[in-house]
Amino acid sequence: MQPLANITPLKPAGAIEVRNVGQIFKTTTQDVVALEDVSLDVKPGRFVVLVGPSGCGKSTLLMMMAGLRQQTSGTITISGAPIPEPDPNRVGVVFQEASLFPWLTAEENVEFPLALRGVAKSDRRARAQDALKLVGLDGFGRRHPHELSGGMKQRVSIARGLVQDPPVLLMDEPFAALDEQTRMTMGDELLRIWAATGKTVVFVTHSLTEAVYLADEVIVMSPRPGRIVDHLQVSLPRPRTYEMLSGDAFGSLRDRIWRHIRKSA
Amino acid sequence: MQSGLGVKAARVAIVVALFAIWEILSRTGLVNPRLLPSASDTLATLGDLLQRASVRKDLAVTATEVVTAFALAVPVGALIGFLIAENRYFADVAKPLLFFAFSIPKSIFLPMFILVFGVGFAQKVGFGFFSTIFIVIMSTTTAVESVKVEHLTVARSYGATPMQTAFRVYLPSMLPVLLEALRISMIFNLTGVILAEMYASRDGIGHQIATWGENFQMKQLLAGVVMIAVIAIAFNELVRWVETRCSHWRT
Repeated sequence: MQPLANITPLKPAGAIEVRNVGQIFKTTTQDVVALEDVSLDVKPGRFVVLVGPSGCGKSTLLMMMAGLRQQTSGTITISGAPIPEPDPNRVGVVFQEASLFPWLTAEENVEFPLALRGVAKSDRRARAQDALKLVGLDGFGRRHPHELSGGMKQRVSIARGLVQDPPVLLMDEPFAALDEQTRMTMGDELLRIWAATGKTVVFVTHSLTEAVYLADEVIVMSPRPGRIVDHLQVSLPRPRTYEMLSGDAFGSLRDRIWRHIRKSA
Repeated sequence: MQSGLGVKAARVAIVVALFAIWEILSRTGLVNPRLLPSASDTLATLGDLLQRASVRKDLAVTATEVVTAFALAVPVGALIGFLIAENRYFADVAKPLLFFAFSIPKSIFLPMFILVFGVGFAQKVGFGFFSTIFIVIMSTTTAVESVKVEHLTVARSYGATPMQTAFRVYLPSMLPVLLEALRISMIFNLTGVILAEMYASRDGIGHQIATWGENFQMKQLLAGVVMIAVIAIAFNELVRWVETRCSHWRT
């Protein structure tokens, strides 16, 4: 008997396909083209970073991958299927700071996606504990967000994104509000978590150093209309180390991105 | 709000000093004791008044009016406020009008309430409701606006239904502002009901206070003032205590 998969090849879990996507914002005075003809393939388990100046539509593209916004034209598929609305089983989203609910404890925040689906309390708690352990916050579950540092809050956000074990994790400038040292530490932490879970990660940032340091691939975008202007493979070995930041390979990649951004700024 | 032992002691000292000055002014005759009975006499009178069945009945009448007016004004005002704040167009249209309505002193409408409702329960409740509802509407719109867009996006990205968003995001986000609104609304509500009682009434503690004043019964009048003040402060502090317990929600 022929396995069904041989007849209709299924896209593996965690693959992201963006095909000729455009986004037009209609305002009362004019139509603004936010994204134009964006195509992109992300293979399962890859760490892809989107960079570009403000207004290049990188966050918009991420929101469309999350099903939080619909494109005007083109198609986006996650694990082989379109994403007309948010689907926490396929995609976890980590937002910029201040996205935790201040009235819930860390573990209740992590449990939130499970609570929405009516998962039993004990099951929920156990899974939240696992997720908190994964992000290095074992024992901090009972604290409220105001009792946690900025870096710890973002760890909780990551745990919340991972608690339903989706194959894809989308991150919208998650470390933008952190200070430089915390940011570096969180980058290493994120790479450790990524290596441990094997998720597909799409990460949006303003920081060129962060982009090169974290990524397998860097997608560089230009503003108005948002387009992909370069797609770099970062072949630096893993695990990434602080020493690589001052190396020639790192520098030339960062310079290449900077030249694109300077041109469009 | 954090306050050390010293600050608390200073507060108590001020209150004690005020009562002491009151006592001295009256006892020494610096102020005519017929005009200002001493603090100790006033408090003794207050004790007597609270024993009296008629005064207790008046208190019960006022409490019923206050609670009824409050129980009507808060949900109705909150619902109107919510609907206005949730709809951009309504908000744009209605907000300045609400500010107009809010800025008018409510007391000038009291004669109309008497004409429409007569003198009685409905007039007090009606006027209490009218005095309260604008501040409730305005506070609720503020509360809705205090809900963070980020939190709504998080709820949406994890597949929350509208009901779940209402109870798990809107309500807890709004709670600190709503509690503050509750507290301030009660001040307006008490003022409204007692004013209505003092203006035209057959019973209620406001009516008693007005009568004592007209009959120059200064001890009873001052005792009534102290009584209402203590009740109002007690309610206010109770809500404030709940507020401080969830103050960190705002951050």
